[in-house]
Amino acid sequence: MSVTVDVSAEHIARRIASTIDPVFAMIDGWRDVLERELSGSLAGALTGAGAPSAETLDPVVAALVNPELERDGSLITGAGFVASPGYLADAPWHLAWWLSGSNTFGAGPDPKLRRLEVVSDPDSEQFRDYTTLEWWRVPARTGTRHLTGPYVDYLCTDDYTVTITTPVRAGSEMVGLVGTDLYVARLEQVLLPVIRESGHPCTLVNASGRIVAATDARRATGALLRIDGLVEALAPLHDVVSATDAAALPGGQTVVPCGDTSLALVLEA
Amino acid sequence: MPQATGRADATRAVVFSPLDGAGRAELVEQRLTDAIVAGVLRDGERLPSESELARSLGVAVVTAREALVALRDKGLVLTRRGRDGGSFVTHDRDASMRMIDARVRALSRIELRDLSLHYAAIAGMAAEVAADRASDDDITSLVEIDARADLATPGGARRAVGRFQLEIAAVSQSPRLVHEELRLQAEAAPLLWLCLREQDSRDRSRTARLDVIQAIRDVQPERARRVTTDHIASAVEWLIDEKGRLETPASVHEFVGGPAPTDPAVERKEGARQ
Repeated sequence: MSVTVDVSAEHIARRIASTIDPVFAMIDGWRDVLERELSGSLAGALTGAGAPSAETLDPVVAALVNPELERDGSLITGAGFVASPGYLADAPWHLAWWLSGSNTFGAGPDPKLRRLEVVSDPDSEQFRDYTTLEWWRVPARTGTRHLTGPYVDYLCTDDYTVTITTPVRAGSEMVGLVGTDLYVARLEQVLLPVIRESGHPCTLVNASGRIVAATDARRATGALLRIDGLVEALAPLHDVVSATDAAALPGGQTVVPCGDTSLALVLEA
Repeated sequence: MPQATGRADATRAVVFSPLDGAGRAELVEQRLTDAIVAGVLRDGERLPSESELARSLGVAVVTAREALVALRDKGLVLTRRGRDGGSFVTHDRDASMRMIDARVRALSRIELRDLSLHYAAIAGMAAEVAADRASDDDITSLVEIDARADLATPGGARRAVGRFQLEIAAVSQSPRLVHEELRLQAEAAPLLWLCLREQDSRDRSRTARLDVIQAIRDVQPERARRVTTDHIASAVEWLIDEKGRLETPASVHEFVGGPAPTDPAVERKEGARQ
């Protein structure tokens, strides 16, 4: 290849972004439908008039996410809407979340599309305040999309997962969020060929420096990439969705943000 | 969706995770007995229905029913009919103590040591990898689990140990280690953490937890592993001492009036009588 490493890196970073962008676009689409339904001139077009309720909203969410969960070759394994506490008249704490057939957690012998069962009674010992968790906490603070993980989702699907969530607003108020889960194994399968194209050792990391995929077999997915200056170089990715400036590290590596995914590509010198 | 569901309390999640192997009704019965005896499932608490139980444990409905009947016969569960009916835990502290003591006596020292070795292999490796892979957020959540620990009761201390070990496995980023941790907690925890009956052990479990957190903060995988396996080793030493005490004939116990002797000859004799 006659192009320089930098150009190649930018190219690979864009390719990674464009692999994940359809998932972002899909979630944004769900958000738009729900925002139109919950406020403004078209409010209640699908659910009817009256205060927003779980009873009327759940079928709308199901109709949005189920086709995508059932689509062949879909990257996602779970998706839905989570309400801000107290927003829905009939359900103070509410998750409308579905799992696909590829998600075997608690599915029995024949996994198929099904709703995630949750404990939404705050008096129950089993109840967990979801607003304290990263996939809620961060988008609630920044007002924008967030990619949580990779992490082992042991409280829900028992698998190695990335979760992407984005706020849903009615007027200026955040009334909940929509989101989706992806298996990291599946994501690696899709992203590895892309990062290999550079023909150069490189590593894809999240905003915490955790490895998502790497050309070097010694860099395990899930491990933290410990390189001088990396933490500082990744800091902008924590809050700003569209950080795009590449940075050079003291060790000679280059860090290139992948569009607005909050992932970054680290290229060896 | 992460961490939002009915599995918020890991030690309870363990109770309803799928079972492997033969003699499934007995396994279901043992799993629920352990949980009731250990106080993970509480007095008066309603158990999942037969079909819910069957689904979460991965067994047939008839198997779940069989296990519930056995629990009823043991007096650990009460079934009420009607709209608010169902199976409810009836936890009697003395009966529970007798039951767990019987379990400790039934297992040989070799089996107890082997169980703790297996568990130490999993928990130790998880701690070692976690020390290398923990982010600042991960360390924060470990510190929070420790801060929420209730060291005043055996049940509280045990739940804290369970949650902490499970979080460590999750921080190691390995779904398999998490899975094994859950499975082994269900099998080994009611026995292994019996030492948490004593305040002394509960305090030591906290010290071990803080040591592991510090090792992880300092990115010292070897130390994180060693503290974890040492903690498990001391728990099984206590358990084997306790087994010795339980197996000492009551007359000797009264005669000596102090800590029971752990003479292997006494143990053999007692074992032969059963």
